[in-house]
Amino acid sequence: MDVVVDTRPLWVILLSRSTRFLKIALGLFVYWAILAMDRPPDLPPEGQRALAVFGLCVIFWALNVIPLMITSLLAIILISWTGVMSHEEAFALFGNSAVFFILGAFILAACMMKSGLSTRMSLVFLQRFGHSPRTLLIAIFLLNAFMSFFMSEHAVAAMNFPIIAEIVAVLRLRPFRGNYAKALFIALAWGSTIGGVATLLGGGRAPLALAVLEQVTDETPYTFLSWMLHTLPVVLTMLFVGYLVITRWFPVDVASVKDAEVALAQKVHDLGRTTLEQRAIGLVMIATIGVWIVAGHELGLANVALAAVVLLFLLRLVEWRDVEEYVNWGIILMYGGAICLGKALAASGGALWLAESTVGAWAGSPTSVVAALSLATWLLTEAMSNSAVVALMMPVGLAIAENVGLAQSLIAPIIAVPAGLAFAFPIGTPANAIAYSSGYLRLRDLIFPGMLMGFVAWIVFNLAANFYWPLLGSALAG
Amino acid sequence: MRSPVHLKLDLAVYGVRLGEELAKERIFSAPASARDFASRDVELILPEDIVARCPVGTRSASKSPYLLRNVDDQFVIEDDSGERTPVGVVPPPRFYNEATTAGTPMWQVGTVHAGYLSIDPATTCGFAAKGAACQFCTMQNDTSATGAAPRTVEEVLEVVRAAFDEGAAEFVYFNTGYFDSDDGGFAFLQPYVEAIKKHFDTLVALQIHPPKDNQWIDRTYAAGVDALSYAIEIHDPVALAKFCRGRSEFIGRQRYYDALEHAATIFPSGTVWSDLIVGLESLESTKEGISALTDMGVLPILSLFRPLDETELREHAPPAPESVAPVYAHLYQAVRDARINVQFMRDLGYAITPIEARFFAGEDAKLDVAVSSFYRSKIGSRAVRGLSKLRRRLRVKTVSDSFDSSRL
Repeated sequence: MDVVVDTRPLWVILLSRSTRFLKIALGLFVYWAILAMDRPPDLPPEGQRALAVFGLCVIFWALNVIPLMITSLLAIILISWTGVMSHEEAFALFGNSAVFFILGAFILAACMMKSGLSTRMSLVFLQRFGHSPRTLLIAIFLLNAFMSFFMSEHAVAAMNFPIIAEIVAVLRLRPFRGNYAKALFIALAWGSTIGGVATLLGGGRAPLALAVLEQVTDETPYTFLSWMLHTLPVVLTMLFVGYLVITRWFPVDVASVKDAEVALAQKVHDLGRTTLEQRAIGLVMIATIGVWIVAGHELGLANVALAAVVLLFLLRLVEWRDVEEYVNWGIILMYGGAICLGKALAASGGALWLAESTVGAWAGSPTSVVAALSLATWLLTEAMSNSAVVALMMPVGLAIAENVGLAQSLIAPIIAVPAGLAFAFPIGTPANAIAYSSGYLRLRDLIFPGMLMGFVAWIVFNLAANFYWPLLGSALAG
Repeated sequence: MRSPVHLKLDLAVYGVRLGEELAKERIFSAPASARDFASRDVELILPEDIVARCPVGTRSASKSPYLLRNVDDQFVIEDDSGERTPVGVVPPPRFYNEATTAGTPMWQVGTVHAGYLSIDPATTCGFAAKGAACQFCTMQNDTSATGAAPRTVEEVLEVVRAAFDEGAAEFVYFNTGYFDSDDGGFAFLQPYVEAIKKHFDTLVALQIHPPKDNQWIDRTYAAGVDALSYAIEIHDPVALAKFCRGRSEFIGRQRYYDALEHAATIFPSGTVWSDLIVGLESLESTKEGISALTDMGVLPILSLFRPLDETELREHAPPAPESVAPVYAHLYQAVRDARINVQFMRDLGYAITPIEARFFAGEDAKLDVAVSSFYRSKIGSRAVRGLSKLRRRLRVKTVSDSFDSSRL
């Protein structure tokens, strides 16, 4: 048991602990205040109640009062108890295909990790390309980005962290001294983060956004490929910008990575030959991605994911206990509740009233709405869970879009992509937290270059939305 | 009339003779443990509730100017001028006559000293095993326990239960020898500490040697230890190397101080202490040691050197009690200046605590004495235990807590 003893004065600790009660009280107050306010004539009674639940959940999600998934469950309970939806309707939203798509993607990633395939890919890639300090840095950056195309970015960062830590150890790099170790850990975090927004597999944000979109508009406008096409320019540009920022902020200051090469070669040697199991899982994974791209729309993304899972079990490539160990079940609950809340807000008229009465006055054009929504989403995601940001921004964004004539279908990438671009704070995303936990980074090593990255990403995203998306047939004005 | 603490010092150095009427009384035939000289002493309660342990039946005690007598059903200490001081005599607890389920006599597992149940589950000291035992320690020639298995957690729990049920002890004090390990012996003691904390609402004090890594000190606190000592014994490095070769050679004086300094930032004020023996180095050096400890927030506990018959230093002359008064006065002042809480370390029969040192500084310390009385009361003791638990709960975080609180 590793322990940390907090040596701050007791009154400071007590004060910081008591903030939890203040946060709970704040959430309850917001809930009560919205219910108790005089209802505006254009706000339906169900909308008022849905907004009260939304307000409570926003406080709980933003301040992390209770685990995110438990807040989601609370949302379902309250939506049902306040009569915004029947409990059958509320719980039925758990059966959303996005939830099962995420589940399938998690199980596929679990198979890759359990079989050692993903670790093998990392080691072989780094051994193949990491011959000099600069190429090793680029290899780590691109490896994490590429793997996050088809695995959760959090899992990629966690999986590759021990490899980077070992490289840093064999190079005898000291914490806080020199740049190279910092550069490697930031490459790990930022590579995962940037890669994570590329496809529907890099995290739960995109599937969640699409699920809320589908519930509210009955539209399913994106295929696996079309989503990638929308995000790829941002991803490629940010990979280039990220490399520049890392190497300018932390100039490479080691002459050789020979020891790391030797260590990587030894690790690859220890892995032995690729096993039949790893080859089979690799083939299933490639086939699944192929079907998602070619026929995902017709067959259904979730169906394809689950069919691949069934195939893995038929081939006895995975066992249930592996799935139980590797799958983040909490996120499934989180998404079920978030989808339910989004639907309740939209169906009750609460989201529309909120959008009209807050940003309706100044949201003049689709361009300004994209800029404002993406900016708000990016700033929020630096401070809170990016899934929670999607959950709270999607209903509002959809209502605003309807108001200003912005294509509602675009709200999904407008929210989901910036929600994944947290570069600056350890609490923004687990990838940052994992890099920071190395002990090689000071907070300022993440914050200053991270804020620059976030700002550049916001500009690049807006340029893409305004000038590149129309080329795909996704003009902002709907 | 001498102050009770001056009398305590005299009794510690000279011991006490028993009046003829007491020689056969059971209370003066406490079981002898080779590793616990204190259990062969008699424990007296002097005026103002000062606890004193006095050698009886030793070479020096047979020449003591003090005689313990029972006059009209009242125990008194009579000096050679005939002056009598009424005292109380603490009888050995009844559980000393009992055995654990495994058959070990309970007094071999734990002995009681003024409310503390003192336990050494290891039964051996690594310094002695390496031929580098402290020269004043009875363990140096004790081979009776060499290779003996440590006490089991169950045995220790049985003895603690027996002592608590009888009301003979209120707290548990683990006192072990040197362990040749990075953790300083805490990894060995941890299961005992955790078991006691799980089964009893009590405070646990620990005297061990410093670990190599301060993280072990944090773990010691997190595991439930309420008070901690790394006993340096001697401040002067030359005298330390001479009398305590093991401490000097295998750990090093600086490591004691570094570990104590860190511990003082982790544990509550007044619960980290270090013993200094008065009489094995110059008094000036002891004073410097006191200042060094108090400057880092550590409470010095001063015991007076006693030449025990079975040790190498049996011929080493103890200091004259009257010569050491300035050292104790310095102790009181240094602790007071450093604002260290003096309430936790009390009722130590073998040493002079800072609050007792007030007699040498000519101070009343009325407030401290009043608070001390509150701490001794049932409600005070309960409050101390509750606050100790609350403090730990607030201060200790496990790394898994941090993971739990991380976001999705």
